[in-house]
Amino acid sequence: MKKNFINKKSKLSLLFIVFSIFTIFGCTPENNQSTFGTAGPIASSQADLFILIFAIAVVVFIAVEAALIYISIKFRRREGDKLPYQTHGNKKLEITWTIIPAVILIFVAVPTLVGIWSQQNGVPDDKGQVLNIEAVGHQWWFEFRYSDYEVITSNELHIPKGRPVSFKLSSQDVIHSFWVPKLAGKVDMVPLNDNYIWMIADEVGEFYGQCAEFCGTSHAHMRFRVFVHEEEDFLAWVDQMHTPADPPMPNTPESRGQMLFAANCSMCHTNNSTTPGSYIMEINTQDARWNNWVDDTENSALVSAPNLTHFGTHTTLGSGIKELNHENLVEWIADPSTIKQGTRMQKQAMVYNTRDGKANLTDSEISDIAYYLLSLKPGSGAEMVIDDIPSDGLIDAEAVFATNCAACHSLGNDVIVGPGMGGIKDRAGDRVSGLSAYEYIYESIVEPQAYIVEGYPPVMPAWASLGDETVNALVEYLLTLE
Amino acid sequence: MTTKPATKSLVFPRFFPRPNSKTGIWSWIATVDHKKIGTLYGITSFFWFIVAGLEALLIRIQLSQANNDFLSPDMYNSLFTMHGTTMIFLVVMPLSAAFFNWLIPLQIGARDVAFPRLNALSYWIFLFGSILINFSWITGEAPNGGWFGYAPNSGVTFNPGKGMTYWVVGLNVLGISSIAAGLNFVTTIINMRAPGMSMFKMPIFTWMTLVTSILIILALPILAVAGIQLQTDRIYGTHFFNSLGGGDPVMWQHIFWLFGHPEVYILILPAMGIVSEVLPTFARKPIFGYSFVVFAGAVIGFMGWFVWSHHMFTVGLGPAANSAFSISTMLIAVPTGIKIFNWLGTLWGGSIRFNTAMLFSLGFIAMFTIGGLSGVMHASPPTDAQQQDTYFVVAHFHYVLFGGALLGIFSGIYFWWPKFTGYFLNEKIGKLNFIFMLIGFNIQFGPMHWLGMDGMPRRIYTYAENMGWEGSNLAATIGGFILGVGVLLFIYNVIYSMIHKEVAGADPWDGRTLEWSTSSPPPEHDFDEIPQVKFRDDFWFKKYPETIKEYYEHGEIEEDTEDKLSEKSNHEDEIHLPDMSYYPFILGVGIAILGAGFLSNIYIIAISVPIMIWGLLGWSMEPVNDPHPDGH
Repeated sequence: MKKNFINKKSKLSLLFIVFSIFTIFGCTPENNQSTFGTAGPIASSQADLFILIFAIAVVVFIAVEAALIYISIKFRRREGDKLPYQTHGNKKLEITWTIIPAVILIFVAVPTLVGIWSQQNGVPDDKGQVLNIEAVGHQWWFEFRYSDYEVITSNELHIPKGRPVSFKLSSQDVIHSFWVPKLAGKVDMVPLNDNYIWMIADEVGEFYGQCAEFCGTSHAHMRFRVFVHEEEDFLAWVDQMHTPADPPMPNTPESRGQMLFAANCSMCHTNNSTTPGSYIMEINTQDARWNNWVDDTENSALVSAPNLTHFGTHTTLGSGIKELNHENLVEWIADPSTIKQGTRMQKQAMVYNTRDGKANLTDSEISDIAYYLLSLKPGSGAEMVIDDIPSDGLIDAEAVFATNCAACHSLGNDVIVGPGMGGIKDRAGDRVSGLSAYEYIYESIVEPQAYIVEGYPPVMPAWASLGDETVNALVEYLLTLE
Repeated sequence: MTTKPATKSLVFPRFFPRPNSKTGIWSWIATVDHKKIGTLYGITSFFWFIVAGLEALLIRIQLSQANNDFLSPDMYNSLFTMHGTTMIFLVVMPLSAAFFNWLIPLQIGARDVAFPRLNALSYWIFLFGSILINFSWITGEAPNGGWFGYAPNSGVTFNPGKGMTYWVVGLNVLGISSIAAGLNFVTTIINMRAPGMSMFKMPIFTWMTLVTSILIILALPILAVAGIQLQTDRIYGTHFFNSLGGGDPVMWQHIFWLFGHPEVYILILPAMGIVSEVLPTFARKPIFGYSFVVFAGAVIGFMGWFVWSHHMFTVGLGPAANSAFSISTMLIAVPTGIKIFNWLGTLWGGSIRFNTAMLFSLGFIAMFTIGGLSGVMHASPPTDAQQQDTYFVVAHFHYVLFGGALLGIFSGIYFWWPKFTGYFLNEKIGKLNFIFMLIGFNIQFGPMHWLGMDGMPRRIYTYAENMGWEGSNLAATIGGFILGVGVLLFIYNVIYSMIHKEVAGADPWDGRTLEWSTSSPPPEHDFDEIPQVKFRDDFWFKKYPETIKEYYEHGEIEEDTEDKLSEKSNHEDEIHLPDMSYYPFILGVGIAILGAGFLSNIYIIAISVPIMIWGLLGWSMEPVNDPHPDGH
C-alpha cells in the first residue's frame, strides 16, 4: 500500500514537470498580447532575457524536484529500518550549495544590468530621428499628443516603422500603465511624476495595448491599439490629421447629428483639431475641463474627454473595446454603461442627467449623432455649407438657444458650465472696450476663446457654423433677457 | 459561572469579580491561556480562510469565460481587494499566530507567554478588526482599491464612499494587534526559555517565530504610518498622497512596500519553521545544518528590507535604482536556496514516513521552489517590464503563499493536531485532502504563468474573446473548485476526527522537541515540571541517548550546561499561572469602537475613550494574580 502510494506521487510529480514545461513552451506567440512573437527590438530582447532565465530556472527546477523525488523514493521507510545516523550536517556541502546559486545568479544578473541600461536610459543616439509623443492616461482611455507634428488623438496610436518613438508618459487622474506587449514592456503613467519609455517597431501592422495598473472601475476596459505604418504612410496620416473634415450635406442625418453633437457633446469632446493652433488650444481646453471637474467632482458638467478629430477613421470605440460601427456607436451613446461602466461621460455630462442615466435624446437623434461621428474623416477641402436656415427666413432664436446653448448656459443667473445669460445686456457692453454689447456677444459666439470671462473654463466651441443670420438672431434674443 | 469575591481592595474600583470559570463562554472571553488564545486565533482565521476562499471562487467564476457579466466591475474589484486583504491579514498572519501561541511556550518549556493579558488583547483586537473590515460587505461598501491601496486611486476623490476607509481603519486596528503579538513573542522567546535552552538549542520553528516577530515589530509600524496618512487624507483632507493637492502617490508605494516586502517574509518564515520541524520528525533525522538554516532564515528576514522597490520596477525610478534593487532581490535567492538544499539534506539518508503532515511539507518544497524560481524571473527589470501586473505575478505569489505558506500551515495542522486536541486527524482523508489541494492548486495557478506571458493584466474583471486567454482561465477556474474540494475534505476530516476520537498519545510521531514531552492536549500549566535542556532536539536525545555522540561528534556540546541547570532548577518547584482577566476584552472593545468612530462620527470616538481608559486602568491596577483564598 505504502509503496503504491509513493509511486503514485512520483508519477504525479513527473507528470506535473512535463505538464509545466509543455504548457510554458505552449505559449502562443500569435496571441494579440503575447510577450513572445515580438515586433520590436526592446520587446524581443526582453523575451530573449526571459528565455535565458527560464532555461536556467528549468535546470534548477529539474535538479531540485528530481532530487526531492529520488530522495523520497530511495529513503522511504521500510520494515526493519534502523534509526538513521543523527548527523548535524556537513559544512563543506552547505558552503558549496551557498556558492552555487550565487554563481548561477551572475549569469542572470549580468544580462539584466545590460538590459536595464540599454532600455531604460533614453533613446541611444544611433537609432535615427526620434518621434516624440506624449501619452496621457485618463480613467479609462489614452490620449496621444504628437508634439513634433501638432497632432492630437485618442485610443488609437499611429507610429512609423523603424524609427525610435519616445513617449513621455503622464496621467491626469490615477496611476495607469502604458503597455504594448509586442513592442515593449510597460512603464507606469504616474500623476505629477512624468516617465519616459521608448520603442522601435520592426513590423507594419496593428498591435494591442492595455493599461496594466489597476486604475478603478473599468480598468479592464482601458485598452488601445497601435498602428505601425511605413514612414511615408505615417507622414500621410499626419497630413490627413491636418486636413479638416468636410461639413455634412444639409438636411442629412449627419448635419442634424452635427448640431446635436455641438449642443450636447462638444463642451468636452473636441472634434476639429486640424487647424494650426488647435493643438495647443486642445491641451489647454483639456486642462480646463479637468480642473473644472477637480473643483466640483459631483456637479461639474465638464471633464476631460477623448479628442474625436477624424473619429470616423478609427477602428474601435470605447478605448479599444468594440468595433467601430453605427450599431455599436448608438449603443455607446445611448447608455455607455452597457459597454463600459463608471465612465465620467455618463456621470457628468448634462445629457446623461436623467433618472436611469441614459442619454436624454431620442433614438433618431442618437442615430444622427452616430452618423455624424462616423462621417468625421479627412475631407476634400470643400467649403462649409450653412445649414438649418428655415425657408421662410424666420429664425426662432429661443429654440436655437434651447437646442444649442442651454446645456451650458441658463437663462437666469445659474452657472451650469458657462455664465447664466440673465441680464447679459447690462454687462456685455462693459466687458471689452471698443466693443458694444451686440458686438461682444456676437464675437463670443463665433470665437469664444477670444474673451473668456475670468473664472470660467475656456471650453466653449466656436459656433460660426450656425451661420450669420442665426447668430444675429441669437444675439438679439439674448439682449432681451432680464 | 462561579464567582469568588476579590479579597483585596484596589485603587481602581472593580465592577465585577475577577473571572475564574473554566468552562463556558466567559472562560474564553477572559482567558489568558496561550493554548486557548491559539485555538481562538486558529478558528477565527480559518473562518476567514473560508470567506476569502469563496471570494476567490467568485473571482474565478467571473473569469472562466470572456466578456462574462456574472459580476459587476465594482463588485469584482471589491472581491479581489478583500480576497487579498483577508488572506494576508486575516488568514496567513493569524494562522501563523495560532501556531506561535500554541507552540512557543511548549517548545521552549514555558508555562505561558511573557505577557498573557497582552496576548489576549492581541486576539481581541484581531477579532474586532477583522469584523470591522468585513462589516463593509454588510453596509454594501466593501473596499475596492486593491489590497495594496495605491494612491491616488485609494484617495477620496477617485474612491468616494466608505470602502477604502473601512480598509485603512481596519488595517490600522489589525496593526495594533500584530505589533502587540510581535513584542510578546520576542520577549517570550528571549526570556522564558527552559533552563539550559540557549538560543542555539531552540527548535527551528521557535527561531523562525523570533525572526518573524522582529519583522512584525519593525514592519507593521511602517504600515501604520502609511495607513494613518491615508486615513487622514481620506477623512480630514490632508495631501500626503493626494496628487491633486500636490501629494506624492509614489511615496505611498515606497512606504507600503517597505512594509509590504518584509510582510512577505512574515507570511512565509513561520511555514518554513513548520517544515523544518516536520521533515526531521518523519525522516527521523535532525535538521541538516541547523545553524545554516537558522542563519538563512535570519538573513532572509534582514535582506527583506533592501528589496522593496522590486515591486516598483515599472514606476520609473530610473536605471540606477532598478539595478540596485534587482541585484539585492536576486541575492535573496541564495539563503532561500540554502533552506531548500538543507531540507533535502535532512531527508537524505533518513527513514521517511509519508503521512499527511509529511506530504504537505514535501509539497511545500516542490511548490515553493517553483515560486522562488519565477521570483528570480521578475527580479530582472527588463523581464519584469513584461511580467509586472500580469497573471505571471499572480501565479508567482500564489506558488509562494499558497504552495508555500498555506501548504506549510496545513502540514503544521496535521502535525500538531494530536498535540492540540489529543486526537489524530484521519490519514486517509488527509491524503485525499493533500492530493486534491496539490492538483487543484497546480491546475488553478500553473496556467496563470502563461496567461501572464500572453499579456493578461491582473485585476481586470473581464477580457475580450480574441485574446486567447479563455482556455487557461477556464482551467484555472476548474482548478479552483478542485482546490475547494480539498478544503472541504479538510473540514470533513476535522469533524471526522471529533466524532471518531482516535486517541493520540503524548508523543505520537516520535517527536524531537519539548512539546512532545507533555501530554496531549497539554495540561493548563503545560508542563508538570519545567524541563531541563541539554541538547538541541532535547526530547529526542532523552529518548535515544545513544545517538548523542553521533550529533555532537565535533564536541559542540557545552561543558558548563550541568551547572547552569542545577542553579536554575531550584526555582521551579511551584506552578504559577496568571489569573484570567476581562480587561483585555474591554480594551479590545474600546479600540474596536474607536475604529468604528473613524468610520462614522466623532461622538462614537468619544464613547470609545472612556471604555479604553477603563480597560487600561483596570488592567494596570489588576495584579497578575489575585491572592487565592486557599492561601496558595
